[in-house]
Amino acid sequence: MQISKWREPLYGLLFLLLAGLMIGLLSLLFRPARSDYGAVWGPYLAEPEDSLDYLYLGSSYAYCDVDPVEIYARTGLTGYVLAGPEQTLSQTYWYLREALKTQSPELVMLEGSALGFRQYENYTQVNVGYMPFGFNQLGAVFTASEPELRTGLLFPLYFYHGRWKELTLSDAAAALLPGGIDDLKGFTPVSGICAQIVDGPFEREAQPDTVYAENLSWLERIAQLCRKEGIRLVLVLHPTYSQLPARLRMQIAEDAAALDIAFYDWTGDGALLGITPALHYYDPGHLNQEGAAIFSAWLGDFFTETLALVPRTQTQENAAAWIQVLARRAAAPDAA
Amino acid sequence: MPCRKKVSDSVSFLTPGFFLFFPVVALVWFLLPGSGRRIWLLLASWWFCLCAGVEHLAFLLGATALTYAGARLLDRCPGGRRKIVLAVLLLSVFGTLFVFKYLDFALRLLDRIFAATGLAFSSPGLSLILPVGISFYGFMAAGYLIDVYRRERRAETSFLDLALFLSFFPALLSGPISRAGDLIPQLRRPAPFSWDALRSGSVRFLWGAFKKLVVADRLGILVSTVYAAADDFGRLAVWTAAFAFSIQIYCDFSAYSDMALGCAQAMGLRLTENFRTPYFSRSIGEFWRRWHISLSSWFRDYLYIPMGGSRKGRRRKDWNVLVVFAVSGLWHGAALTFLVWGLVNAFYQIIGGRTLEIRKKLRRRLGLREEAPLTAALQVSLTFLCSTAAWVFFKGGSFTHSLAIFRAMFTGPWLIRPVSAWGLDPAELTAALFAVLLVAAVECLSVRMGSFREKLLSLPRPARWAGILMLLAAVLIFGVYGTGYDPQDFIYFKF
Repeated sequence: MQISKWREPLYGLLFLLLAGLMIGLLSLLFRPARSDYGAVWGPYLAEPEDSLDYLYLGSSYAYCDVDPVEIYARTGLTGYVLAGPEQTLSQTYWYLREALKTQSPELVMLEGSALGFRQYENYTQVNVGYMPFGFNQLGAVFTASEPELRTGLLFPLYFYHGRWKELTLSDAAAALLPGGIDDLKGFTPVSGICAQIVDGPFEREAQPDTVYAENLSWLERIAQLCRKEGIRLVLVLHPTYSQLPARLRMQIAEDAAALDIAFYDWTGDGALLGITPALHYYDPGHLNQEGAAIFSAWLGDFFTETLALVPRTQTQENAAAWIQVLARRAAAPDAA
Repeated sequence: MPCRKKVSDSVSFLTPGFFLFFPVVALVWFLLPGSGRRIWLLLASWWFCLCAGVEHLAFLLGATALTYAGARLLDRCPGGRRKIVLAVLLLSVFGTLFVFKYLDFALRLLDRIFAATGLAFSSPGLSLILPVGISFYGFMAAGYLIDVYRRERRAETSFLDLALFLSFFPALLSGPISRAGDLIPQLRRPAPFSWDALRSGSVRFLWGAFKKLVVADRLGILVSTVYAAADDFGRLAVWTAAFAFSIQIYCDFSAYSDMALGCAQAMGLRLTENFRTPYFSRSIGEFWRRWHISLSSWFRDYLYIPMGGSRKGRRRKDWNVLVVFAVSGLWHGAALTFLVWGLVNAFYQIIGGRTLEIRKKLRRRLGLREEAPLTAALQVSLTFLCSTAAWVFFKGGSFTHSLAIFRAMFTGPWLIRPVSAWGLDPAELTAALFAVLLVAAVECLSVRMGSFREKLLSLPRPARWAGILMLLAAVLIFGVYGTGYDPQDFIYFKF
């Protein structure tokens, strides 16, 4: 019997496929499941397609300060905070590209303190590592990640295989089984009051001009992407006590105007928005749960009144799902 | 500069770069026709060396040019002058090795000798680089030159073939120390692509990765922890560390050899086997015929036999053994501990030879038949114990520290710190134990039934795939690599 010359190559390919599948499964198994503090892609992808009115991007200032459920309660606008800890604008660009695969929001809100970040901050492993595998993650690995982290970002077992000693069945289930939608919609409430707040606001260290220019180039790419997709982009700075230097904020205003990006600097506007520093800051940078509720309610008004954002028509199931989220929040407010 | 970095940071089989490099090199190697493939392989090998630093490549190129020109000269030289030419060439090869590997050691030794005699001498404290692989390709070059001198082979007319022989990347860093007569003909007429060779080579590479990452580097943590303060752990820990180092160094070096031979095999080339289950040897003499075979046979052919071997009486034979093992010890490193390690092995062999008859008589008295399993088990255990004791000098770092380790083996309490404080937590210890048992089982089966790898590859496809995927999973899950771990060089890279 003549053996086809393609038999061995095909078996070889099949073996490589199986090995790749096994490595992929092991990578998922050993990577800790992530459900809060940003970079939460699983629940985001579980949202019904094209169901979100806005996306809120940025760093921890976004996911700690903005509660989409609070905004929905006030305005009926559906949204999601898709941010990551100390997320740089280069990472945010790739986040947005990936996020737009399943959603077509009318508005992208971008918390812009990352314009004052370094080229790489401390959480690339989380921010890029948890992105869904694909072209956008590869883009983030090679353009928005430290070179020394790239091996682990491309091959997650490099970071996480040492967890074999601590892995439990529930960890494995959480890692492998698909998660449902997130009642917090990307928001991470934090409790506690910052004692240092009495010292007053302080300025964060400014980065060299070259770093700012690099960050600005990524902002430009984000703006171009939004323009191409017909999405309104709004750049904001949240009310905070760890403030970007005033000179830098003026520069940002000028550059945003040059790029035709709407820019709102709320850095020093906490009192106007209803935030009491002694009560509503978790730390000098982030609002606590109560502060986030006040700020989010105010944001809702900002969306509808200033930006004239109107809730899109939702399917019955989706509308019901948001109402159920509201009901669950009302029944257990501490869960938020 | 790259030379300041660890070799593992730049050139090693277990880096992401190599997993990109090797498939491309192998694929093009099979695709190119004629001498194009050899040129490609040579350029790839030089690139591999260049990754360690340009100065490392410069040394390799220099050694290649010297060996090529020297051998051609030897070939053309008439009678009496040949010896002088060979002497000059060997002096150049070994002189370079001496300068870069031993000069600093020699100066420090002089320093100590002068200090002991009360004379003033201060060594300049050199910090020369050690070109990667120089101990290996230097010996290959020397062996080739001696072969040409002995008229056992003609000098290579093709610079390409000779350069490839000395530079072939799988063997560049840690051997095996190939012979020109063995490798050059294969490079000239390489075997065509074979799925069987690719499978066998890949599995061999994977098994090497298991031994290195799961066993050697894990045991290395325990050994380094305990040896760093042997007095603080108790006798049990020190004995465990000593045995662990015996296993570590075997798994480390044989892993490198497996990976080198696996890469070559996948490309249709066969390198010299370097290990044949050495810890199943029944004497130290046999151990050295099964451990680092390519180096042992080099010393046999180019040093021991030319010195007279065993042909000039027992005393001369003992002296020859002593010299060969002293040189072998120093080949492993420029330190007194390596010399002592070599001499200890020499004494084992000499005493073993001298007591051969006595031991036979003793076994007869005890009723132990020569081929009885119990006899074999006792001999294997004793050989392992002896080699373990010798390895203490190898790992000790200094003579004083090695003696401190021996002292800690025989004095003080049995247990000072709990097992969990020996550098590996209980889960890691369990993983190490199972991995060592697996290696031992595979070695045992190889001794009894022939190559375990070939047995695995002869299984039906589903069983074979399951076995290979399980091994791959074990390496990926239980291997010591990634964030938080200090990637450890292969021990033999240092030599």
